[in-house]
Amino acid sequence: MPIDEIKPTRAGLLIVRRRMALAERVHELLSMKLDGMMLELVRLTDRAALQRRELEELYTMAREMAAIAAMMEGATGVLLAALSVETVPTYTPGHKNVFGVHLPDLEPVAVRKTLDQRGYGVLGTSSVIDDAADAYENLLEAIIASAELEGGVKQLLDEIERTRRRVNALEFKVIPELVEKRRIIEDQRDEMERQEWTRLRRIKKIKAKRAEKL
Amino acid sequence: MALCGVISPSCVYACTRFRVRRTKLLSREAYRRIMRMSIPEVVTHLGRQEDYQEIMDLAGDFSGAQLIEEAVNRSLARSFRSAMAIAPGDLHTLTGEYLARWDIANVMAILRGTVHDVPRRQIRDLLIPAGELDSALLDRLLDLTGCGDVLESLQDWRLYPALAEYYRICGEKGVFARIEDELYQQYYAGLLGLAASGCSGCQELIAYLRFEIDITNMKNLLRLHCAKEACDITVVDRTMIPGGNIPLALFRRLYGIGTEEEFISVFLQMAIAPVLARAVRELRQDPNFSSTDAAELVWRRWHQHLRPVHELEMAITRVRLQQMDSLSRRHPFSVLPVLAYLERKRYEVANLRAIARGKAFGLPADRIWQYIVM
Repeated sequence: MPIDEIKPTRAGLLIVRRRMALAERVHELLSMKLDGMMLELVRLTDRAALQRRELEELYTMAREMAAIAAMMEGATGVLLAALSVETVPTYTPGHKNVFGVHLPDLEPVAVRKTLDQRGYGVLGTSSVIDDAADAYENLLEAIIASAELEGGVKQLLDEIERTRRRVNALEFKVIPELVEKRRIIEDQRDEMERQEWTRLRRIKKIKAKRAEKL
Repeated sequence: MALCGVISPSCVYACTRFRVRRTKLLSREAYRRIMRMSIPEVVTHLGRQEDYQEIMDLAGDFSGAQLIEEAVNRSLARSFRSAMAIAPGDLHTLTGEYLARWDIANVMAILRGTVHDVPRRQIRDLLIPAGELDSALLDRLLDLTGCGDVLESLQDWRLYPALAEYYRICGEKGVFARIEDELYQQYYAGLLGLAASGCSGCQELIAYLRFEIDITNMKNLLRLHCAKEACDITVVDRTMIPGGNIPLALFRRLYGIGTEEEFISVFLQMAIAPVLARAVRELRQDPNFSSTDAAELVWRRWHQHLRPVHELEMAITRVRLQQMDSLSRRHPFSVLPVLAYLERKRYEVANLRAIARGKAFGLPADRIWQYIVM
């Protein structure tokens, strides 16, 4: 029932009181959730920033290794080694639950490989190709870890935004409206009680006057 | 077979031509000049050279470092094919055998491209027809759709016996790596077999090939050892090339060693130790660097599961080429001047490619110099 349609009766007052108790409890819970999510966000953001810095370093290293591999083996040699890849690296998507928010949990699959699993022959390549492959495997792992953390930060931010809107709505709209409604109902009920009391006194006086006349 | 056993006039003529060709390769000064140039200036400079005229024809399709790499690759293929044409009789056979490594790279690229559905044009750009398999045959192979068809078309190739047994399982996971390793083992076995048949300079060639095999085996052993998970000894067996001075049993023993003293004592038994010491002496300008120091250096990297240092690998390549040069000077009318030219040309192309790629990636000149072999 919309708040405007609640009648200034005892039942209406009970409804408002019940709603207020519920709103206050929800507000308290959501505030706690918001605080928890904020703490988690700070922790996750720090980790994501560290991971991003590491990713940038690994990217620079991988570029340098690719440059050295291209210098020693030529782009042709590097491409031939790249052509040998038989299992495409990927990840399995999952999720973990933090304060009811589904944060991504990505598991790298076939990213880090042994020399035997890479698909190229040992005799047809040199150690610089291994170094470049290692550097790119590290980079790929860091990309997946970074995507997991940054995806988590994004999800948490969205959820924090939604929760904050709810907390604010409860704090600045729903609860003040209910408080106001309760005040109006109580005032109206007091007014009605006073009217009733006055009416009864009036009737009592009239009855007393009639009794005197008789 | 007698390769230049009795030195024939045609052999003397061919060897002289190869020696003349070697003198036309880029000098240290030329590299210094090129190092000071920007990439467009290098392109212009190479365009003026007789050996690299292809660069102007390719300028429409490629640019920058890619253009230089394509041009030097084509120049390499042309030079090697012309070398094959010059080499007379049995020298031609040995040159063909020596250049078969380019055929292996081309065949493996085609096989992998066919199985993994890589666009034909992309594979064609990767091929360097510097061996016996000419462009026409490689183009025909590129048009085939199945791995089996490619193998069937290679029946006349000298390394086909190594491929034949993989006909049924071609394309399965891990098979190409095994094929590639086996082809290279077959390649060295063929070369050693041909050299053993007797020719002028063949004894020296065999010694040189054994030395190259030892170095390759040691490098690959370090590569296998540095992997995070220890690999199976069968992988070590599969990737070692037989025929070197150092028996494979010694490499197998080395692979299982865990203590410094034992490692150093085994390493010092190998002929690689003095070569490595010489390479480090030249690289670091340190005249006191001994074989024991070299063994300790290798142990440190071995113990920490690290791969060979690239600069050191290049230094060893320099030592190897110096050895080849001195052998070719001692035996001027043998197979050695031909192979010395082929190796020098190969590294000239590698040097130009390294300069172009290094400049494209913005590496400083002194860093690029470490990858130049002169």
